[in-house]
Amino acid sequence: MNTETQIHNFRQAHSALRAELGKVIVGQDAVVECTLIALFAGGHVLLEGVPGLGKTLLVRTLSDVLDLSFSRIQFTPDLMPADILGTNIVMEIPGGRREFQFQRGPIFAHLVLADEINRATPKTQSALLEAMQEHQVTAGGELRKLVEPFFVMATQNPIDQEGTYPLPEAQLDRFFFKVLVGYPSAEELSEVLSRTTTGEGVKVERVLSREALLDLMKLVREVPVASHVKDYAVRLVLATHPKTQTASPIASQYLRFGSSPRGGQTLLLAGKVRALTQGRFNVSFDDIEAVTAAALRHRLILNFEAEAEGITTDHIIGQVLRDVPRDAAAVSV
Amino acid sequence: MLAMSELQIIESALEQAARRRRWARALRGLWQGLLVGAVLSLLLIGAWHLLPLPLWTLTIATVAPFLCALAGLIIGGWRKPVLNEVARWVDGRQHLQERLSTALEVASAKEGSSWRDLVVTDAVNHVKGLDLRRMVPFRLTRATRWALVILALGAGLGFVPEYRSKRYLQKKAEQQNIKEIGKQLADLTRHSLEKRPPVLEPTQKALDAVTELGDQLTKKVLTRSEALKDLANVAEKLKDELKEMGKDPALKKLERAARASTGNDSQTAAGMQKQLESLQKQLGTPTGNPEALDKLKKDLENLKEAAKGMADKNSPGTEAERQRLSESLSALSKQMQDMGIEMPQLDEAIAALAANQTDLVLKDLESSLTDLEKLRDMAKSLQQLQQQMEKMGKDLAEQLKNGQPEAAQMSLQKMVNQLKSSNLSPEQLEKILQEVSKAVEPASNYGKVADHLKSAVGQAQAGNKPAAAKDLAAAASELGNLMQQLGDAQALMATLDNMNKASMCIGSCQGWGSCNKPGFNPRGGKPGSGVGTWSDGTAEWDGKWNDRWDNSGIVRPDMDERGHTDRGEGELSDALRPTKIKGQFTSGGPMPSITLKGVSIKGQSKVTYEEAAATAQSEAQSALSQDKVPRAYQGAVRDYFDDLKK
Repeated sequence: MNTETQIHNFRQAHSALRAELGKVIVGQDAVVECTLIALFAGGHVLLEGVPGLGKTLLVRTLSDVLDLSFSRIQFTPDLMPADILGTNIVMEIPGGRREFQFQRGPIFAHLVLADEINRATPKTQSALLEAMQEHQVTAGGELRKLVEPFFVMATQNPIDQEGTYPLPEAQLDRFFFKVLVGYPSAEELSEVLSRTTTGEGVKVERVLSREALLDLMKLVREVPVASHVKDYAVRLVLATHPKTQTASPIASQYLRFGSSPRGGQTLLLAGKVRALTQGRFNVSFDDIEAVTAAALRHRLILNFEAEAEGITTDHIIGQVLRDVPRDAAAVSV
Repeated sequence: MLAMSELQIIESALEQAARRRRWARALRGLWQGLLVGAVLSLLLIGAWHLLPLPLWTLTIATVAPFLCALAGLIIGGWRKPVLNEVARWVDGRQHLQERLSTALEVASAKEGSSWRDLVVTDAVNHVKGLDLRRMVPFRLTRATRWALVILALGAGLGFVPEYRSKRYLQKKAEQQNIKEIGKQLADLTRHSLEKRPPVLEPTQKALDAVTELGDQLTKKVLTRSEALKDLANVAEKLKDELKEMGKDPALKKLERAARASTGNDSQTAAGMQKQLESLQKQLGTPTGNPEALDKLKKDLENLKEAAKGMADKNSPGTEAERQRLSESLSALSKQMQDMGIEMPQLDEAIAALAANQTDLVLKDLESSLTDLEKLRDMAKSLQQLQQQMEKMGKDLAEQLKNGQPEAAQMSLQKMVNQLKSSNLSPEQLEKILQEVSKAVEPASNYGKVADHLKSAVGQAQAGNKPAAAKDLAAAASELGNLMQQLGDAQALMATLDNMNKASMCIGSCQGWGSCNKPGFNPRGGKPGSGVGTWSDGTAEWDGKWNDRWDNSGIVRPDMDERGHTDRGEGELSDALRPTKIKGQFTSGGPMPSITLKGVSIKGQSKVTYEEAAATAQSEAQSALSQDKVPRAYQGAVRDYFDDLKK
């Protein structure tokens, strides 16, 4: 299959996924688009929003339209790492003998929904670190590979702070995107009400197989990026590093820590996916700009001043985008 | 191969865009440069109008817009942009989502890559829709409009008269005047050197120094005080030189004699004699004197009037009158003949009268009158020449005594010739011996001349005529040397006079031709009208300085026109008694002055010269010490009264 056909297939798959998800999820185009970008880029997504906005439904529907195994973990304060990864239990084997056998946890699925991830203790949250980054877990002294593709779709509630544990920075950095789920518009809400208060259920089709998804994920990585576009991504990341020569003034003022290199990787990968979804064969500045907020907002650590003044990372990212010129060389021509 | 051609399409489009963009930048640079130049020009013109900047400021102001525009054009179009940069610029400008720049970059990757082909083809599809004219339009910028407005302002400002302070104008006028005076001084001195090169080396050096000073004044930009100082320095040298020369008694004698002589100084005795002989020959008679001829002319005029009156009357009684007139004319003719004057027209008039041809009579009488007038003039000239000849020394002694070296030289030369001739009689030798012996004493003032004459007398007494002739020739030569030295001294004095005049001109800021006249003219032309009688009558009086030297209330009876003879012998008019008029100086204003130069009053003075000079000098000293005389004039005043003492 040549590249052109693959790209064609990608666009078809993308359109089909959008269409199928649209059957269940009303509105939330940006959330859906970001989720799909992360999916094709092979990244994990942290969905943040108040309860009842369809975060879990989105992930569940996604598992339905993809021919992938799905597991859901409801994070609670008493959830233990073994509850996620699995544990060795004594099993009776033929011959009357007993031995320890590894009982796989819910992490061993293609698509894992970590619902209300911030309700578990940091110890339990940390159980996901190795899985998310290296797509493997170490349990019972053995290294166990996770199935490919492997996605963690986590949700969290920003308002209910009682009995929650904020995700550690290392954990946050492993999420490809942090997507903010907002309130639906009037039309969208009306449509939601219509769909959910009648007896008719909506059935979605599986539109993408596991193998096809893996192929498309591989195709994404081949999209060419011009050096000056890559340089733009680099400059954006560097601009978030406070108290450095490349730092944007607002970053120096309000950030304690800037984005890690994973932020840059995310910008490029997400840009590539977006370019393909937009019908282009190359990444543009617009692509980078479009995904910057979702890619960097959870990677920036605010300082006390920012917290006190109510400055958000989205506000800082907006200013950084204004501060960093797209292409200085082109301006001087 | 397809990709290659597609790449060429992209590159070609980008090159065109780059060219157009380069021109656009160059034009933008041109207009921006023009704006900068126009602003600079406006500032310079403005500054020139307010401040005393040199004239080249205006030249810079004129060329600045064009130079800046050219510089802007060059700077704007200097850099040739790289194709990749152009691609990025076009991407940004046309919102091509980095298609062109990525295509250019990817194109350098290995051929046959599917992504490469896709990206390049996609870029080509977008390049085809590019409209370079719309993308890079050539149009006038806002800078152009501003530049034109400012240029127009600058041009308008050019017509506004510039402001210059009075002080600056005066300074410029002074500098210009110094240059002119310097040129005049150098020219005069150079002319003097060419006309008569000095014999003595110090004189040559001194005159060269004056020429050099003149050139310096012309070339350098000097203030008035600096120029006056330089002039004073060189004048001091000249004075020293003159003082040195003045120590020689022979030169002093010669100089005094030269100063005492009249306007015919340069005329030699021989020349005068030749002119005299020529006039006598023309006049034809030695008896003719101007007074007698004048009387004859008056008589003839009376007779002519009588003849004219007779012509008006046609009565028969006129015959008697004609007879009387004829007799009178005959008597006059006889008188003329007795004086040796031939007047044939008068005889013709008598004949015409007899023939009753009155018109012819009048015509002949008119002709006779004209001839008589000519004769009278010639007689007058002859008389003057004779008077001058009488003043010349009759012999060598008198010539030496009177300070007539040329005549003395000629006399000596004549003696030498006589001594050298073979047919010199003992009487003639004796006469020469007597004349030379008589001249020995007066010759004592002429350096070695007396020695030579003494020696000549000795030789002549001893009968050694050749040796005597040689001594006399040596004396003549010595006189010649002295005359040359005198010439040097006179040249130095003339140059010193020129320098004094130059000092006066620079001090009073007047031109060479007008600084010996009074008054200061701020317009730089002729001096203004003064109180005195001898001011420049052609100068315009605009009443501007009336408040400073208004003399309307001053009565000057001496201004009445009168002849030289109606004052009476030895009497001085009351109006000529000196009266002191108190003047007042206004700071910064010109100094009022009264011209006293050139007064010519006949009669005898009752005050001795020494007394008058001493009084004037004392008053001048007092005025100088009390700072009543402006500093610029102090030198001239001091020199003037020092000269009076001498």
